[in-house]
Amino acid sequence: MTSTSPSLSSDATRLVTPAMLVLWLVLATVPLWISRVGLYPYLGIEILIWSLYALAFNLVLGTAGLPSFGHGAYFGIGAYAFGLCQFNVAANLWVCLVAAFAVAGLAGALVALFISHRRGIYYAFMTIAFGQIFWTLAIKSHGITGGEDGLLKIARLPADFGVVTFDLADNVAFYYFVLVVFALAVVAMWRLTHSPYGRVVAAIKQSETRAAHLGYHVWLYKASIFTLSAAISGLAGGLFAMAQLAAFPDVMSLHQSGYVVMMTLVGGGLVSFWGPVVGVFVFLIARDVIGALTNAWMLYFGLLFIAIVLFRPEGIAGAVTAAFQKHSLIRRQGNSAMRLLFGAERWR
Amino acid sequence: MFDLLPHLLNGLTLGLLFALIALGFMLIVGLMEQINLAHGSLFALGAYLAMQLMGSRPPFPAELAKAWIALPLGWRYAATLVIAPIAVGIVGMAIEFCMRRTYGKDPLYGLLLTFGAAMVIEETIRLIWGTRDYVLQVPQAVSGGFLFGDLIWSTYRFYAAGIAAAIIGVVWLVIEKTSFGATVKAGAHDSEIVRALGINLTRLRLLVFVLGTMLAAIAGIIVAPIWGIRPHMGVDAVIPAFLVIVLGGVGSFWGAVVAGLLVGLCVGLSGAYASEWSLLSMYILLVAVVTVRARGLWGKKSVLEA
Amino acid sequence: MALIEAAGIHVRFGDRVVLESIDLAVPEGEFHGLMGPNGAGKTTFFNVLTGRVKPGRGSIRLGGKDVTGFSPHRIAAHGVARSFQIMTLFDEFSARENVTVGLPAFRARGFDMRHAAANDSGFAESAMAVLATVGLADKAAVRARDLPYGDRRALEIAVALAQSPRVLCLDEPTSGLGSDGVQRLAALVGRLKGKLTIVAIEHDMEFLFALADRISVIHWGQVVARGTPHELQQNEWVRRSNLGRFA
Repeated sequence: MTSTSPSLSSDATRLVTPAMLVLWLVLATVPLWISRVGLYPYLGIEILIWSLYALAFNLVLGTAGLPSFGHGAYFGIGAYAFGLCQFNVAANLWVCLVAAFAVAGLAGALVALFISHRRGIYYAFMTIAFGQIFWTLAIKSHGITGGEDGLLKIARLPADFGVVTFDLADNVAFYYFVLVVFALAVVAMWRLTHSPYGRVVAAIKQSETRAAHLGYHVWLYKASIFTLSAAISGLAGGLFAMAQLAAFPDVMSLHQSGYVVMMTLVGGGLVSFWGPVVGVFVFLIARDVIGALTNAWMLYFGLLFIAIVLFRPEGIAGAVTAAFQKHSLIRRQGNSAMRLLFGAERWR
Repeated sequence: MFDLLPHLLNGLTLGLLFALIALGFMLIVGLMEQINLAHGSLFALGAYLAMQLMGSRPPFPAELAKAWIALPLGWRYAATLVIAPIAVGIVGMAIEFCMRRTYGKDPLYGLLLTFGAAMVIEETIRLIWGTRDYVLQVPQAVSGGFLFGDLIWSTYRFYAAGIAAAIIGVVWLVIEKTSFGATVKAGAHDSEIVRALGINLTRLRLLVFVLGTMLAAIAGIIVAPIWGIRPHMGVDAVIPAFLVIVLGGVGSFWGAVVAGLLVGLCVGLSGAYASEWSLLSMYILLVAVVTVRARGLWGKKSVLEA
Repeated sequence: MALIEAAGIHVRFGDRVVLESIDLAVPEGEFHGLMGPNGAGKTTFFNVLTGRVKPGRGSIRLGGKDVTGFSPHRIAAHGVARSFQIMTLFDEFSARENVTVGLPAFRARGFDMRHAAANDSGFAESAMAVLATVGLADKAAVRARDLPYGDRRALEIAVALAQSPRVLCLDEPTSGLGSDGVQRLAALVGRLKGKLTIVAIEHDMEFLFALADRISVIHWGQVVARGTPHELQQNEWVRRSNLGRFA
């Protein structure tokens, strides 16, 4: 099928797309009804933070095509950095969030030094090994991180804007704060993926050889996108520390690192910008809903995941896009809606 | 100097065990270019199955179970060493059947598939055996300890190291000295060649994968009496395995063995001085080696990174 | 002075010598053909020229500057572009985006993260101009993977042209093309000839003898014959080998 790119000329050039506006509006109403459908506001916070994390992760997996399997490390480092900054440097929200971003970015840059000349399975291997190093460090450094007990008593610092200060202790207030950070980060990442830089990274994903012979310093691009992704993951981790009022090493484990890959893939992060968000929604809501029915929910989710890898590797967003493309009637009427929802033609 | 000897020996046995754990993993990575993230779970599954077989309620029909329990412990142990890996090998076979769909696609899919398999296996273990710790019974002959030079030595550790060395030797012989090994190695470097030689690549991959999973199970059974049987054992085991392979150079047999020994010695010796940080020492070793030699100790330029 | 100058290039992989010693000097504006049997080391020589393979001995000079051992991206930045025998395109990108990524102006902004690439009409215009040169203007929006074979070959060259290179290295550009495609390609190369320096590996003798200013025959890792097409036709070695069948 030949494909033209109508969306590329419209959405790709926008700073804020219609899809973003719709998403934010819907998300803004969540605290109004989430308790009524049997869920709870904290779940909303969790979904937003993991969405941010998964989007950041997808910069590496989807945009750059680099299989990182140890990303939990940077999420966790962000959480610890937030807590430690609060205890030891300054109990200021902005300083601590910047610390979460910067420290995780620094750790990412350090790892990027060692892995950016690699590709494919070998890349995955190295990311796993380094992820495990950070995880073990977190568990073993009792004096600093609190070991397996976690770093406790992290406070939700108030958001001080000079003229006004918001108290974030309440879950609903904190939800809206996270939503604002999420929205800003989404704008930044959307623009990043459509900037010349983002396009070069996407080109490197398709052919490192060609990109190098076109004069691009492939290593530098791979290292920088990994660092950026680690830094934004760290920011998400900082928010997670606020949400949990603590930082635990378990988010850094191989399993949790695997979950973010899973969410991203299940949602369709390989074909759509919004795939990771879709995946996080499905994963976390399934966890709560199926988890309430059976305590073996990971078993079913694992089986479902295997099925998706085998039969629908392009994930939910990919499957929806394909369905729309198959039925031309729906396509004609649903095309704009589809683009609105998934921005599916981003790659063309 | 004599003070160090126990730590040195401890490190060597540990190293052999690390190498044993990494062995099946390394076969699959080196020869099939697939990372089997389920390796740790299969390792644990082997240990749990062995524990069940050696325990008072073996998973057999009543008649058979009675006869089984009547056997001397040593015989049961020997039989378990064969039966449990075969059972795990069947699970491995199922994973490979699924994995076939991912060959030739992005290597990420194989990785994710085995991650899903790991989730399923771990959850199954949790559902059947719960989260409590178990102990694997071993025959009298290899348990207990003996006195040597004023120190008590654990018999089992020596037995485990011996078995590990023997299995490593057998695998080496199979790879280097048999025609099966030769085709496997050819397939690792160029699947075209294997096809051109008229070898059934599908069967070859299945064999290698099943062999890898069976080795995981054997490692689980051997290690279980030392580290105990608990849900986390798979993860604990697979981390050193990862390091050993990166350190030794992906796809290098002796690289993995030497790296295993190095890591073991490193952990054992540092354990003598700062036990809390003994695990960290292997990471420092890894970073040091990777800084100097990007491909690990014996790594050759591999197809994996082409 | 020659624009591109390779002297005594020697390459070995393990104990296999691939290039014994190759000398090549191509003056500015020349179309220089490389031919020789498969496995003679032509592509390896290209890989040395473009920085993919570091030679064991010998040196590469570009406009007098020693660039031996430079990595591919630095060689490219010095104005050497190449096409690949095995097509190496950005398959998920449209034809226009493939070319856009090749533009030096785009490369200069490679770390720009703040602006939308699609917002820049300058890129679009330059890219369309390059596509027009190879006759792909009307297929600018088609994904590379969806293009027919001949168009992909053309795009392969367009991406290299987008770099506005001083030296264009073409690795078997006619490979897999029908006679129609070869004619179109010959017309394109004819137009480029003289405007930029071209080094081309080619098996299609008719194509090469019709267009090249000079030709080097590479065999056993060495240059065994060199000269204008006319001189080569007189060359005893070439006449005896089957390469002389066009003589």
